[in-house]
Amino acid sequence: MQKQTAKFLINGKSYELVIEPNITLLELLREELGLTGTKYGCGIGQCGSCTVLVDCKPTLSCLTLAVTGQNRSILTIEGLSEGNILHPIQKAFVDHGAIQCGFCTPGMIMTAKALLDKNYLPTKEEVKVALSGNLCRCTGYVKIIDAVLAAAEMIRKGDKLE
Amino acid sequence: MLKQLKPFEYIEPRTIEETLKVLYKYGAKAKVLAGGTDLLVPMRRRELNPQYIVYIGNISVLNYIKYDQKNNLRIGALTTHQSIVDSALIRDKFGLLATACAKIGGFQIRTMGTIGGNICMAGPSQDSVPSLLVLDAKLKLMSIRGARIVPVDEFFVAPFQTVLNETELLTEIQMPTPPPKSAGCYRWLTKITKIDETLVGVAVLMTVDSNKKVCEDAKIGLCSIAPTPIRAKKAEELLRGETIKEKLMQKAAEVAAAETSPRSRAEYRRRVTMALVRRAISEVWNKLTATI
Repeated sequence: MQKQTAKFLINGKSYELVIEPNITLLELLREELGLTGTKYGCGIGQCGSCTVLVDCKPTLSCLTLAVTGQNRSILTIEGLSEGNILHPIQKAFVDHGAIQCGFCTPGMIMTAKALLDKNYLPTKEEVKVALSGNLCRCTGYVKIIDAVLAAAEMIRKGDKLE
Repeated sequence: MLKQLKPFEYIEPRTIEETLKVLYKYGAKAKVLAGGTDLLVPMRRRELNPQYIVYIGNISVLNYIKYDQKNNLRIGALTTHQSIVDSALIRDKFGLLATACAKIGGFQIRTMGTIGGNICMAGPSQDSVPSLLVLDAKLKLMSIRGARIVPVDEFFVAPFQTVLNETELLTEIQMPTPPPKSAGCYRWLTKITKIDETLVGVAVLMTVDSNKKVCEDAKIGLCSIAPTPIRAKKAEELLRGETIKEKLMQKAAEVAAAETSPRSRAEYRRRVTMALVRRAISEVWNKLTATI
């Protein structure tokens, strides 16, 4: 199996790495780059905790070969805040008690971002559909949905975008 | 923690032609990778260990939704489920296909997964297939020897087996516009599991005459009730040429249920098939004969 050099653009930063084709994007982020915000939950695409944005699309990094993530713009949870300034979605999750153990949170937030980038006025039903691929074992989802709707309103009112 | 994927050789062709050459060279040793939502799961579990992975995800010429009066609808095999859901054209003229694709997986799976991959996986419960069956879809299969067109209802052989041979690539899904005064729907019930696999899926497409009295044509597509998705042709016959009343809907639903051959929980699935077919026919007939 041949190693190859691959170029990645992750959270606005360029990386040139030598990788084997059989590693997933999740393994690349966590083990090669130490970006452990993205979580390994099930490894087979059922829990959503590995969700990152690839070219703005919500993507299960456990089902993505790292080599196919080349030459694409990748955003992880680490790339969402600007220094200490939280993104409105992150702020809404904190304010609304949408975080208990926190394991599902990065995946939930990245999926929510993908939703709100596409639809800035989602209904509750649309939020539920968008988050249907992200499982939470703690909260019962109510506060997560509230947080996403609140974030949508913050973003509409012109709070920090991107 | 699951183990790392087993090693393989990675090939990324840039064009359809290059892909076909690679598939001809490696045949059964190679697996085509697009969205990865169906392929990487058995690879992660080490149930599937291809020697060669042929990644076609960057071949953007395979990602399209085209429509014209002459050629009707043509969907490129790399079109994602979410693109189909978002397509105003498909929602307008081929609405049941959009409904079916909206049911698949979750938001991420729909964004990553492609219709071509869904069809080629050929599981008995692939949600997109009943709609393709009733819409008379045809599949374009290409190899270095040329192309052939296979109707969807001739594509599936057995669970996870199709007529696609190891050197071929599915490139396009084609379907004609339903006749005027047609309507359809897709209904389903899921198993209660992590990923809500379809327990029974029913697609119905019907056409009514200009007086909105007589059913000129009816098609019923079913999934997850037989080794492959099927058309309930005997039930369809009952409906054609008739003015559809409650009793006939019930009879057609019973006949459709009897046409199934479920592997597990057979009696329950037949019961569910009957209920869903009856409801689907009712929904579509009401749409067609509405006076408002």
